[in-house]
Amino acid sequence: MAYRAEPPDGGWGWMVVLSAFFQSALVFGVLRSFGVFFVEFVAAFEEPAARVSWIASIGIAVQQFGSPVGSALSTKFGPRPVVMTGGILAALGMLLASFATSLTHLYLSIGLLSGSGWALTFTPTLACLSRYFSRRRSLATGLALTGVGLSSFAFAPLFQWLLNHYAWRGALLLVSALSLHLVACGALLRPLSLAEDPVVGGPRAQITSLLRHGPFLRYTIALTLINTGYFIPYVHLVAHLRDLGWDPLPAAFLLSVAAISDLVGRVASGWLGDAVPGPVARLLMLWTTLTGVILALYPVAEAPTGLVALTVAYGFTSGALTPVAFSVLPELVGTGKIYCGLGLVQMVESIGGLLGAPLSGYFRDVTGNYTASFVVAGTFLLAGSGVLITLPHFFCFSAPTSKPQDHVTEALDTKVPLPEEGLGED
Amino acid sequence: MGCCSSSGGWCMKVVLGQLTPGRAETPAVLADEAPVVTAGHPNDPQPVEVRGADVSMGTWQSPDRSSILGVRRLKKPAAPFTSLPVQEEITTTKYSNLSLESHNISVTAAPYTSLPVQEEMMTKYSNLSLESHSISMTENSSMPVEKNITLERPSNVELTCQFTSGDLNSVNVTWKKGDTLLEDNYLVNATGSILYTQYRVAVIDSKQMGSYSCFFGKKKQQKGTFNLKVPEVNGKTKPLITYVGDSVVLMCKCQDCLPLNWTWYGGNGSVQVPIGVPVNDKHVISRKHANETSLKITQLSEDDQGTYWCHAIFELGESEGHVELVVLSYLVPLKAFCAIVAEVVLLVTIILLFEMYTQKKKKPSDDGKEFEQGEELKLDDSNGIENSGPRHRKNESMGQ
Repeated sequence: MAYRAEPPDGGWGWMVVLSAFFQSALVFGVLRSFGVFFVEFVAAFEEPAARVSWIASIGIAVQQFGSPVGSALSTKFGPRPVVMTGGILAALGMLLASFATSLTHLYLSIGLLSGSGWALTFTPTLACLSRYFSRRRSLATGLALTGVGLSSFAFAPLFQWLLNHYAWRGALLLVSALSLHLVACGALLRPLSLAEDPVVGGPRAQITSLLRHGPFLRYTIALTLINTGYFIPYVHLVAHLRDLGWDPLPAAFLLSVAAISDLVGRVASGWLGDAVPGPVARLLMLWTTLTGVILALYPVAEAPTGLVALTVAYGFTSGALTPVAFSVLPELVGTGKIYCGLGLVQMVESIGGLLGAPLSGYFRDVTGNYTASFVVAGTFLLAGSGVLITLPHFFCFSAPTSKPQDHVTEALDTKVPLPEEGLGED
Repeated sequence: MGCCSSSGGWCMKVVLGQLTPGRAETPAVLADEAPVVTAGHPNDPQPVEVRGADVSMGTWQSPDRSSILGVRRLKKPAAPFTSLPVQEEITTTKYSNLSLESHNISVTAAPYTSLPVQEEMMTKYSNLSLESHSISMTENSSMPVEKNITLERPSNVELTCQFTSGDLNSVNVTWKKGDTLLEDNYLVNATGSILYTQYRVAVIDSKQMGSYSCFFGKKKQQKGTFNLKVPEVNGKTKPLITYVGDSVVLMCKCQDCLPLNWTWYGGNGSVQVPIGVPVNDKHVISRKHANETSLKITQLSEDDQGTYWCHAIFELGESEGHVELVVLSYLVPLKAFCAIVAEVVLLVTIILLFEMYTQKKKKPSDDGKEFEQGEELKLDDSNGIENSGPRHRKNESMGQ
């Protein structure tokens, strides 16, 4: 059994990027475009809108809280079987949903079943991607995550077309077939054995050591704070614009503009993250601080030009912080523990995501406009970036920390004592 | 003492009911003007006289403006603007639940001038509501002006056209319903350079609905049209997709209207067949709100496909909407589903076969964790010796 000393940084890795691209499209694109089905469900089951929107909420919650399970299973069995099983579960959930006779059926089939399927796919794929790349990790992650934005553009009209031609039952059947492509994406995830794999041990050992890892815990707190503020503008921007007197069509158009600048930001930041030497955490702090400042400026902007400029800038910076956020983790914990690490981070930060929107809505109800909620979102982001400063090697300007050998060394050094001959790889 | 005494003015006799004795009350109000006050009689239903020069022309309403007591208006003269001896005529109305609809077409609201013409009062159908609509046009209007009026229940309709021109002398005014020339029931008035003409009609059934046009002009005729229609009914513009064995609810509704009845028809092409009569299990017509109707069809089959019409029946006519129903069999999406699943299976097979093909080294394992890419051979060889330690440890640590 032979292990690689460093990630390949290319080669089959680009196929993994392709797989991750389609997976983020099929998981998050489907989730985001599900609003199209919303209207049909309200009419078909004669239920109020609030109860129907629980379907998506349950799906998202299961996907996020189930991430550690997906990660632990990937550590044990490798990402490929886990992701393929996840794809089958997600498709099965949609298939059963097409036969639903009540809203509860939809909660269980789409929410629970498809949600667990998604939990088994997304996190292991991103972790696998981080293992395949080191020098170009941020760029690869950025490219893969563009799948989310592009699919939102494509799937919403596609789902509407399906609804017009097949009604919601037929459309769900075909979305199930679409989700089955996750299995094909999973097949692309060739397992990779890296040098630190045997060192870090099985899932239980990894999780225990992670929970005692100071920088990891601080990073998790930082990401949770960031996540709390991150989603608020997405949820409240259109409502804020309508409050200021915008018509629905220009407001929706502005959201599309933000989505485009989000895409550009992801790729640009991915490239930048690899090009700039030093810990990626600094770039994350830069983008997070910028996003926080922009959000805090929102209440001040009244003129349409100011709002458009702020929205474009917000789209860019918030998109920019996503690939970098995923790239910090391998630097912290090493690629050996990436599966479990990513799973834990996703689970904890999702708490922030779930709390953010209702908190902002509460502020809106209490104060009467969105000023307080935007400022609070900005504050959370700035607090998160403040915590990031406490990460190790943050202020080392000349530390060449991006060499994978050092990661192995660090991982081996700090986690498990080794005899000397295990370190002589370079 | 009789009304219309020799004082020269004229008065209206209105039976109003009882006024509070000794209190000054307003028994009648000129539309759009301040109320006229008169003292009340002690508790008797005597007619109240409103007299004086302030009984001017126009519409007199009860103080709360809910009833019309009488109208003083100008009768159409035999020839325009001739000075005939004034013949004034007032009739009081017996019904007190009137409201007047006055359709006035005008750019600027200019008051009626009193020309010495005959007066006439409209009393028939005075327990109907009154609708007023107006159009304005100038001498040089290039397009004919149209106004659509939606009527649901019988009412008195007052249509006014206003024509602005420099030279009003030889302007001929005519009214037409459709293509039929109308002889009476309209009057003409002029102020400066604006000419008004007003047509009144009591719309009680569908025979009075249609297009009414006023024509001005000598050489170049200007036309203004009022289209009287029943309210529109909306079905669905997109076809409804359903599957065999399902049940579906087709709905039609109209905005702010109260049809007397709704009926449903189905059919292919242009033939309409009544549905729901006699009452059966398959088609159930119900009406949750007054302005909507729903047809529920159960146990759908492909024969139920086609267009369904809903007719709203008003006193003044009928209005219809349509809904298109498409019934698919489950096989239609199922075929697409199976095709896509087959494609996915094919993709997975290709990917896995490709991987096995490019393996230079094959190692037996049940989860493929030890598979590697061929070009990394060199690197791994050099690490092989050093990795024996970690490998050894992995076996130990995996044993937990």
